[in-house]
Amino acid sequence: MDLSPTTEQQQIIDALRVLLERNAGQARVQEMVRAQAYDHELDAVLDEAGFLDMAAAGLGPVEAGLATIEVGKAVGTVAYAAGALVAPRLLGANPKVPVAITRMPADFPVRLAQHAKLVLIDDGDEARLLEVADGDVVAQPNGGVGWPMGKLTQEALGKARGLGPGTGETLRRWWRLALAFETIGVMQGALDLTLLYLKTRRQFGRAIGEFQTLQHRISELVITLEGARWVALEAAFRDAAPINAATAAGRAAGLANLVARECHQMHGAIGLTREYPLHLWTTRLGPLAVEMGGAAAHRREAARLRFSAEEIERREAYWL
Amino acid sequence: MDFDWTDDDVRYRAELRAFLQEALGRDWRGYDKTDHGAYKAAAGEFCRKMAEHGYLTQSWPREYGGQDASAWRSAILSEEIGSPYGEPRGSQYMNVNWIGPAIMRFGTPDQKAYFLPRISAGDVTWAQGFSEPDAGSDLASLRTRAIRDGDDYVVTGEKIWTSHTAIAEWIFLLVRTDADEKRSKGISVLLVPMDTPGLTVHQIPGVAGEGAFSNPVFTEMRVPVANRLGPENGGWAVVRYALAFERIGVAHYRHAENQLNAVARAANARGLGDDPAVQAKLGEAWEAIEAARLLYYRVVDLRAKDAPPSADTSIARVAGTRAYQLVADAADLVLGEYGLEGVGRSRFNLTAGITSGTTEVQLDQVATKHLDLPRPHVGA
Repeated sequence: MDLSPTTEQQQIIDALRVLLERNAGQARVQEMVRAQAYDHELDAVLDEAGFLDMAAAGLGPVEAGLATIEVGKAVGTVAYAAGALVAPRLLGANPKVPVAITRMPADFPVRLAQHAKLVLIDDGDEARLLEVADGDVVAQPNGGVGWPMGKLTQEALGKARGLGPGTGETLRRWWRLALAFETIGVMQGALDLTLLYLKTRRQFGRAIGEFQTLQHRISELVITLEGARWVALEAAFRDAAPINAATAAGRAAGLANLVARECHQMHGAIGLTREYPLHLWTTRLGPLAVEMGGAAAHRREAARLRFSAEEIERREAYWL
Repeated sequence: MDFDWTDDDVRYRAELRAFLQEALGRDWRGYDKTDHGAYKAAAGEFCRKMAEHGYLTQSWPREYGGQDASAWRSAILSEEIGSPYGEPRGSQYMNVNWIGPAIMRFGTPDQKAYFLPRISAGDVTWAQGFSEPDAGSDLASLRTRAIRDGDDYVVTGEKIWTSHTAIAEWIFLLVRTDADEKRSKGISVLLVPMDTPGLTVHQIPGVAGEGAFSNPVFTEMRVPVANRLGPENGGWAVVRYALAFERIGVAHYRHAENQLNAVARAANARGLGDDPAVQAKLGEAWEAIEAARLLYYRVVDLRAKDAPPSADTSIARVAGTRAYQLVADAADLVLGEYGLEGVGRSRFNLTAGITSGTTEVQLDQVATKHLDLPRPHVGA
């Protein structure tokens, strides 16, 4: 057991922070969100620096997870986790094109689908792959959420080809892991900004971060988020083992709306304006919180596996 | 990052399990604490067996009879000994986790020679005399007074919510030795035999099922100066050192997991295992337990690397408390009125956020030390 990042992992984090500051950044993200665009340039920069094809560089899910957190913190408008964490398990490698993920019946808006070249679809036992052609996806008005959204047509769904029996399970557990890391990264960005605000915003003659009521609230969030991060990292270390992946996804999704609400509350009115950047993170959290059915669905899956009679017995065999 | 146990750790855990099965018996279902004498004898016997096998003070340095066991081995021991039926060491876990280490760090040669062998043999039981009626979370405001009189201190005052006094031979007592210093600067630690004249213990019935609260009262109790641990008026450093160990000495997440397993077993038995609301609640509590476990491991990892004390301990403690609370919610959901029979304790888990530093004190630590926020502004 050693919970410090390796030198290599720390280098990945440090390098990504520099790269993202240069190539993502709030001004650019504002522009992307306004245009409901996909940041192909950021994808190209990440590819050039070797971050898209982690496996080819001998790096695993933990490294891809750490990278996903950084991309989320910087609110990069790319399908980083779908490409780096999920797609390689089904397609053999990161396809290096925008990938969206959804599940049947897929008759609802899908995050990033309007820009996707590939869509992975959970269809129960089997995962399906859609190579997107013109007209397959209808862009959706995004209703104020911070992701470009699209809906797949029925015809497109009919074209998606099966990836083989059992691939549905593979898709679901890696999707859960990816979703956990994405959500954690975005939550971290929102909390970092809120902490800075508490330290700089002055009211009643002092920084509002001096008030214990706010200190305790942000501390609770940070504690829960820190726990979620470790649960996700262990799940990555265990190659998205089913219980771990569902646990990680539930923890992150269950926190997402609370973080969004609390960060806005601690900011007050300024957080509701377009020019202040908080919304860049918080409007991304809603869609992440409900993807795959949301926290309750992840939790039901974790409980189904962890609290089956056999699993309880296996874990408690000693005391029985 | 490596989340796997080493082969050595795996072997150690297996040996420890075998020892626990042998020492407690497979049918062990906890102690009956209503009979203080029998409880103390049984916990003492178990601790002596641990001592014989080198487990009791394994984490202590070799010079004090320990084995210099790694922080990870201590964590494994905490996990394995966290049975569904209570702490088999009784209150002796405190001796090993923080009273012994505090004596090693601050004790005189005579104190070390007297206390450490007794603790490591499993032969002594302690109570912790910290809180007072007007000094709970604000511990530094304590008022129990110790006035120097020749080679003695004369102690007058009282402690409250003190556990284990019915079975303890010693109490680790915080007193004020400088009345002019209102806060932490005037505090000292005294190591006091429970049978000292002038010490009277009033039992306080508890609501949370542990029935172990008491109110020790000191009336001109004479304690030799030689029983002071650490410098006069320098007791606060001893307390801080001790509490840093105490807050992470117990694998709370493992207790919570044991409780949740019992709840889930009840759900399966009652045909509620497939109920979506039950599953969602079990999953939520399970997540919180897993988060607490890993945050606890993070503290162990830092300790194994000799990192300086940090607010990570408070983070782990709060996470453990939140996990307990979710388990209690899950128990209510699954058991409904059936939970009113027996196991009252798991329905409430009320003590988790209060003992060894309230959640609010832990959150203060996180805010000021981890998030680097200013010390809180108090009052309007």
